[in-house]
Amino acid sequence: MRSPRILEVWRLGTVNYLKFLKIQDKLVSERKAHQIPDTLLSLEHPPTYTLGKRRTDHNLLIPQSQLTKIGAELHYTQRGGDITFHGPHQAILYPIISLRSIGFGARNYVETLERSMIEFASMYGVKARPGNKCETGVWVGDRKIGAIGVRISSGITCHGLAFNIDPDLNYFEHIVPCGIADKEVTSLRRETDALLPSEEVIHKQLITCLAKAFSYDDVLWKEDPSVILDTQR
Amino acid sequence: MALRLLWASRVASHLRISVAQRGFASAVLKDLKYADSHEWVKIEGTKATFGITDHAQDHLGDVVYVELPDVGLTVSQGKSFGAVESVKATSDINSPVSGTVVEVNKELTESPGLVNSSPYDQGWIVKVELSDAGEAEKLMDSDNYSKFCEEEDAKH
Repeated sequence: MRSPRILEVWRLGTVNYLKFLKIQDKLVSERKAHQIPDTLLSLEHPPTYTLGKRRTDHNLLIPQSQLTKIGAELHYTQRGGDITFHGPHQAILYPIISLRSIGFGARNYVETLERSMIEFASMYGVKARPGNKCETGVWVGDRKIGAIGVRISSGITCHGLAFNIDPDLNYFEHIVPCGIADKEVTSLRRETDALLPSEEVIHKQLITCLAKAFSYDDVLWKEDPSVILDTQR
Repeated sequence: MALRLLWASRVASHLRISVAQRGFASAVLKDLKYADSHEWVKIEGTKATFGITDHAQDHLGDVVYVELPDVGLTVSQGKSFGAVESVKATSDINSPVSGTVVEVNKELTESPGLVNSSPYDQGWIVKVELSDAGEAEKLMDSDNYSKFCEEEDAKH
């Protein structure tokens, strides 16, 4: 009889990108050492552009010196994928989970992240679809609503997905999002006339869709984010 | 399925080894050794060539980028030395043996897809000078690796 699969969820509010990276590094080490179960961070970032391992900074269309003028930061990461933007009213999920315990490779993992977002969008009557070949992510028609960029190390995942609830889409004008030119970026706000509940409710719904897609038996909602936000420990 | 066995036989005859035929889809070649992180290694005296297995490339999706180590780098069995990117995921690759990198497959910079189309042949990644020939004993043979893959795939 297999033991139940639990996902521990931390909802952290707005977290600066560098602070998040410190938290993530700590959690990834702890997950590799089996000190914590599968863990999910749910948060938002202040306006931040990030690049992946391939450092495709030619897809940033404004000089880096202009970034502070528009109130944004730029960070280089080890995740897969191209350049993207994170900002307020964009729901971000960072799963730190063991793929080996479910026999998943990168492809299954990313496809399941896509399915989570598609399922979530359908709750608002939005028909989203996975990307075509080489266009990983979630699309409504030819408009991108959800992005993915992950890293897998010793079978443990980090980084994750970003779903546009109602971010300021102007920030995307300064990049070639995900390296795909001529395709628009969109948001849940743009794609549905439905009344959107509070963002807390929306985040919880997205998390629940992910937990279901990965067949978790139970979700443990961690109540005290200060435990994890204090990276000095 | 027949096409994959034909391909595997062609690879095998090129590498002068025989194909282990198994019920599941990915090809496993006899006479190679395998790590549980899905890398294969071919040992010839004090030198070894390695890459990722057919099972690994299938589970990764289309590889768009291979991060190759520098020649001269020391690698350790079980430790990460590089990465591949596919479907917006960077996945670390671990070294199945310990030693010093003497050659890397520069073809993969222009043609990363060789890892998918020819994982045991043109998609080789690194050649090393072994520092501990005995380490290969810790790796799986083709039969054990095939079983290992079946067990992993049965998890979902």
